[in-house]
Amino acid sequence: MALHFDGRSARASPVRLAVEGGCLVAQPLADDGSAAATPLRWPLAQVQWPERTRHGQRLLHLADGAQLQLADAAAFDRWRAQHGPREGWVVQAQQRWRSTLVALVLLLAVAAAGYRWGVPAAARGVVALMPQSVDAAVGTHALEGVRAQWLRPSQLPAARQGDLRSAFAAAVAQAWPAGGAPAYRLHFHAATADLGPNALALPGGDIVVTDALVDLLQGHDDTLLGVMAHELGHVEYRHGMRALAQFALLNTATGVALGDFSSMLAVLPAWMAQMGYSRDAERQADWVAVRVLRASGRDPAAMVLLFERLARRPGAGTGPPMALASHPADDERVRYFRDPGAGLR
Amino acid sequence: MQADPVAGGEHRLAVQFVGSGSEYFRIWIVNLLLTLVTLGLYYPFAKVRRLRYFHGATELGGHPMSFHADPRKMLRGYLLVGLLFLAYSGAGHFSPVAGLVAFVIIALVWPALWHSSLRFRLANTGWRGMRLQFKGTRGDAYRALAPGFVAALVAVGAGLLGPAPMAEGQPGAKPLELTVLNWVALLVPMLMVFAVPALLWLMRRYQQNHLALGAEQARFDVPLRRFYAVALRALGLLLVFGFLVGIVAAVATGGLAALGDGVTLTKVLLGLASVLTVLLIAQVIVTPYVVTRLQNLVWNGTRSRHLRFESTLRVRQMMGLSLRNWLLIIVTLGLYLPFATVATARLRLQAVSVACGVDPDTLFGSAERGDESAAGDAAGDLAGLDIGL
Repeated sequence: MALHFDGRSARASPVRLAVEGGCLVAQPLADDGSAAATPLRWPLAQVQWPERTRHGQRLLHLADGAQLQLADAAAFDRWRAQHGPREGWVVQAQQRWRSTLVALVLLLAVAAAGYRWGVPAAARGVVALMPQSVDAAVGTHALEGVRAQWLRPSQLPAARQGDLRSAFAAAVAQAWPAGGAPAYRLHFHAATADLGPNALALPGGDIVVTDALVDLLQGHDDTLLGVMAHELGHVEYRHGMRALAQFALLNTATGVALGDFSSMLAVLPAWMAQMGYSRDAERQADWVAVRVLRASGRDPAAMVLLFERLARRPGAGTGPPMALASHPADDERVRYFRDPGAGLR
Repeated sequence: MQADPVAGGEHRLAVQFVGSGSEYFRIWIVNLLLTLVTLGLYYPFAKVRRLRYFHGATELGGHPMSFHADPRKMLRGYLLVGLLFLAYSGAGHFSPVAGLVAFVIIALVWPALWHSSLRFRLANTGWRGMRLQFKGTRGDAYRALAPGFVAALVAVGAGLLGPAPMAEGQPGAKPLELTVLNWVALLVPMLMVFAVPALLWLMRRYQQNHLALGAEQARFDVPLRRFYAVALRALGLLLVFGFLVGIVAAVATGGLAALGDGVTLTKVLLGLASVLTVLLIAQVIVTPYVVTRLQNLVWNGTRSRHLRFESTLRVRQMMGLSLRNWLLIIVTLGLYLPFATVATARLRLQAVSVACGVDPDTLFGSAERGDESAAGDAAGDLAGLDIGL
């Protein structure tokens, strides 16, 4: 027993369904259940069969715009198993908890693999395709913003600035003896208190070192050069642009997965994943610092001083928990600089 | 089929939502996996499967709604809109002017996409074998969206073309010198906040006014001031609860100061917790309030010659459900999400009923079958527009 709607009016007429000679046949029924009119036929290829669900009725869509509606879903499913086409594997997978569980495990595996290899590789690919001029354009824009917000002209004597510049240039030249070091521009700036002793690298090669950092590491130029080399590492691997590409990819992925309930909810995992990538980028930059320090005949352990000095400042302490931090924990980085080994962690 | 209850010559058609959270969970997981492994190409198929499930589970007067869209057609639309979107977000990185040009192009194309999105969605939605229709014109879509775009364009343009407020490299001692363009760039967004209810109303009016089922053509008569009343009360709620959270935070900070100097783990965690609390309050109190009031307002104000909608969603119920949903989503690390989606759909849909002035059997659909562009549907998806309840 099904209801036939002709697609033009809301009136339903009861029919009995059968499959005959490659056609779906609907026999209209009178009130007493006897055949009432000539049967309606549709070639099976033109019938869109419903997907099985646990609740609700079944709807068959027909090519002429008509529709068959079955309130007794269980009876229809039994009938269809004999006469209708096989169900697709997606529909079958949706029926059982076991296959759902498999899908869930696969989903987590694919998501983990995508996070670990897929997104970073895709971001590297995107960045490799982008000309350096894009980095420069983004960096210039960012530098203007940072300058207006946080930076003031440096109070360091010009001679001191010049010494640091030439020492860093010499170390970079030793680390890349064959040439090919990433292009960079070094800027010294006084900064507002919230930036404090800090150094930052922007896409395109602008490296900003604050006066407070130079003061903090007074008398330890090796450490200061190590910090600059760390920032140069960000420039070399184009971490800024990669972060942009990664965040765009992550946002799209979490938006598709979670966006239909709340777009706010979608941003949180993307942001946490981004922090994970940021820690990896910091480790990569630390490795560049080690390389430059070694190549110029310095001891990478000089970097340990940075963390000691930073930790001794008033207001320093435990940072946010790992999952939310943009940098690896200080202890881990200190251990690394004490004993960097031969390569990247 | 059971007869619909008749009262005072009106047939009352109740909405019954028969979907289940556990069933949607299974659909959701499989959809998600396939979307991920196909790098998004499966997305339109997933969306059609989801909408078919939700439409089929929505029974109006005992008859399920149906969704007919062809995912293959939607895939083409998604690819087209995806390219447009990529070009737009890429242009902003290259240069501000390119970004502005891209914005203007999007602004010019968007209303047309919105219009075809509405046509596509409704033409593919059916009930008792009849398709719904959207009869709005493209021109009306432009008129409905124009005020918002003009304001945004002025703001963005002034922000980009005006000189930066602070000269580069100058010490902060120099007072800010704002040019006319800077002022425009600052003021227009502020004015736009006050215009949001009006923009929303214009969009809703366009959507509701052009819904059609056969010869029945909907009318939307909700005065603009009712939208402003909802917005003002929502703002009030936000302020009251924001104030309460502020007090709690201040007390907590005072207590923390006693704990001693330095950024400790406790402090960071507490700071994080208070930020999350504010977000949760917005999601659990303000959003349900706005959603409830707007649903009732919009659907109680929508009627056609023989059809009348009635929506009696209660704010308290929506708030309770939101709280439950969010807590369970957090506890289950997101796995509760499909259950939350179903529970919300059930509450919102079952609050609605339709009063039909004639026997529903006598309603007639229209013979025309719209074969509308699916690109518009994709555009609606990206912009978060939805015509659903």
